[in-house]
Amino acid sequence: MSRNILLVDDEPDITTYLSAVLEANGYTPTVALDAETGLAAAADVHPDVICLDIMMPRESGISMYKRLKQDPALRHIPVIIISGVGQGGTFDFRSYVSDASVPAPERFMEKPIDVAEYIQTIEELVS
Amino acid sequence: MRNRRAKTSRRLNDMVLATLFQQVPYNVAVIDRDYNVVEANDNFAEYFGDWHGKKCYAVYKKLNRPCDDCVSGKVFEDGKPRVADAVGIDQYGRQAHYVGHSVALRKSEGGPIEYVLEMTRAVTETDRWQQQIQVLFDRVPCFITVIDRDYRIVRANESFRDSFGDVRGHYCYEVYKRRTSRCRNCPAAKTFHDAKPHRSSKVGVGKRGQEIHYVVSTSPLTRGRGPVEHVIEISTDVTAVKRLEHDVIEAERLGAVGQTVAGLAHSIKNILMGLEGGKYIVSLGLKKDDKKMIGEGWEMLERNFEKTTSLVKDFLSFSKGRLPELKLINPRGLVTEIIDLYKNIAAQSGIELKADLPPRLRRAPLDPDGIHTCLTNLVSNAIDACLMGKQKGTEVVLRIRDTRDKLVFDVADNGSGIEYEIKKKIFTTFFTTKGGEGTGLGLLTTRKIVQEHGGKIIVDSTPGRGARFRMEFPRKRLMALFKHEV
Repeated sequence: MSRNILLVDDEPDITTYLSAVLEANGYTPTVALDAETGLAAAADVHPDVICLDIMMPRESGISMYKRLKQDPALRHIPVIIISGVGQGGTFDFRSYVSDASVPAPERFMEKPIDVAEYIQTIEELVS
Repeated sequence: MRNRRAKTSRRLNDMVLATLFQQVPYNVAVIDRDYNVVEANDNFAEYFGDWHGKKCYAVYKKLNRPCDDCVSGKVFEDGKPRVADAVGIDQYGRQAHYVGHSVALRKSEGGPIEYVLEMTRAVTETDRWQQQIQVLFDRVPCFITVIDRDYRIVRANESFRDSFGDVRGHYCYEVYKRRTSRCRNCPAAKTFHDAKPHRSSKVGVGKRGQEIHYVVSTSPLTRGRGPVEHVIEISTDVTAVKRLEHDVIEAERLGAVGQTVAGLAHSIKNILMGLEGGKYIVSLGLKKDDKKMIGEGWEMLERNFEKTTSLVKDFLSFSKGRLPELKLINPRGLVTEIIDLYKNIAAQSGIELKADLPPRLRRAPLDPDGIHTCLTNLVSNAIDACLMGKQKGTEVVLRIRDTRDKLVFDVADNGSGIEYEIKKKIFTTFFTTKGGEGTGLGLLTTRKIVQEHGGKIIVDSTPGRGARFRMEFPRKRLMALFKHEV
């Protein structure tokens, strides 16, 4: 059975790109262009991994991430933050969320991603 | 009978003289030709110590030989009275400054000089005070000058002379500012007029041509209730403070550059990802011989190349490093312009755009184009936030507050609001609420312009309830930049 990956990013070119990469590697992508649709899709399809952007209008990826981790039905889903805000491949999650009760995301990837590394990360998280 | 009257009169004279000799507020001594002190009053003994059987030089100066410039000796020679300053030693061994009056004493008019009467008055305390005041006057870390009604400097302290040169007799405006006529808004003129202290900030020119910033306070120097004859000007050199203030503004500007570079990197990363995506989809389409996929990938490439162009263009305009061209303007006009520009656009989307301005607004040195850009960015963002929010009856309010120290512009909306986490990053990244359309440079540009005015921008927001962007301009800083520019 194909694994489902939820892509949440307000930039359609990026979701198109990542969808193509995932499909070419045998995954089923689900796309959401904002946090609200993303949360609804997560509750609906219960994806194996969620790839999440940070800077989005209306509600940020950080806010959506906190809501995911507060939801007992969704909090177990591993999350990859994919964003351009990091520097040199590192991401200081605590500068966004100081509340230690919110766990850090499973992975962080800096834009633009390396396709091979991206697929390897997804594989690690779904296995 | 006549003898008795003469006798009584002599006795009275003796009494008066004896009393006068003791009570006169001088140290009085009678010296003979051999420098012996033959008589002295109690004041003298109290001041110089026991004199009985001593020479005058031993009593006055604790010497064992006559003074080099003996005043009494001269009086004995020519009989002329003399007044002289002298420094001796009192009975406790302390240096004693005194003024001495020496007069010849003869038994009969035209007869030989038998004695010299010396009346001395200590001036030690006065001198000490004067010395202390002089030291204070010279060394106090302020420029002090005393000027007369013609604005000529009649006295200047050492600090002043060090910075401006020895300028007694020159006009104050000539010295302070190298002007040929009195300064406008002259605080000394006001003090001459109303006899009250006044204060003003000025920029002068030092003796080496250097710029000197100073705050001058003027006070009247007057005797009794008469007109002010002189004015004392006390100025504090604030050049170092001004330099520091300027450095702080520069440091803030440089800090903004660093943050801008980080923001630029974020934006470029997104575009690069789009380009990578286009390339990936084109190659995948080629591999699968899927024309639709190739077309889709090609469009992605085109879109992201276009984004690169517009980002570069926006960034160039953002970073061209133009300094604000400050003009003294009334901020009311700026707000009215923006309201006129956006009122219809807002109304078409069901948003009310309002101005909230105080009845009286003072003019301020602002760059009209720069502030126009800031207000345009903030109002356009606020309208977008209202469109994204789900509330009904949304509004954007443009408000100005003019306090004593600050000029404040607020752009407030009751739209979607900004989360705390994003709010923290809002000025350090190219944050956009316009999806793929915006470059996110609006707020960065706004912050840059505000900082170039020496101001700051503050955002206050509750998610779902709206946001308020506040631009605060301290009037002191605006004036400092304005004066610097002028």
